Amino acid sequence: MIIVEVKKKEIRVNGHAGFKDAGKDIVCASVSSIIYTTVNGIFNIDKSAIKFVDDNKLLKITLVHPSTVVTILLDNMVGLLEELENQYPENIKIKKGG
Amino acid sequence: MFKLYISLDIQRFAHKKGQSSTDNGRDSAGRRLGAKLADGQTAKAGAIIYRQRGTKIFPGKNVGMGKDHTLFSLVNGVVKYERSGKQRKKVSVYEVA
Repeated sequence: MIIVEVKKKEIRVNGHAGFKDAGKDIVCASVSSIIYTTVNGIFNIDKSAIKFVDDNKLLKITLVHPSTVVTILLDNMVGLLEELENQYPENIKIKKGG
Repeated sequence: MFKLYISLDIQRFAHKKGQSSTDNGRDSAGRRLGAKLADGQTAKAGAIIYRQRGTKIFPGKNVGMGKDHTLFSLVNGVVKYERSGKQRKKVSVYEVA
């Protein structure tokens, strides 16, 4: 199961979707696409707005210079991940706050 | 102008093959059951004739059975596997004169 922890200034994502094996896991593909699209979009707007770390175990997005656009993009990302959670509760879980 | 800062790996959160573990993969060593003396072979008193689980084969004449259903010879003689009724088999040891 993929765990997404959403805090005020940081989003942490780890785990495996476990929907299917690599190459066939649509939940994993969706999560990856949503996150990478958002991060790459933010980098194209303001490279210094966030710090992005991915060591293949833990993926971490840290908000460095908040702005309206960056906040909207991150909220949009979390919103879509929550939508995925509704459809695939066994494979992704969003934890907010803390 | 668009720039790709991070490459897209859409299987980033997938279970890579070979990572999954399995609970199987254990087995006990074979118990080497079955006949230790064949039909027509000579047996010494006390010699094990047949190792089994339960009574696949029943003890016949001059043959004893251990608590693990092992069949053994009670006398010196020749081993004989025989029928015992319709369904059953038994093994006997006949003393040679």
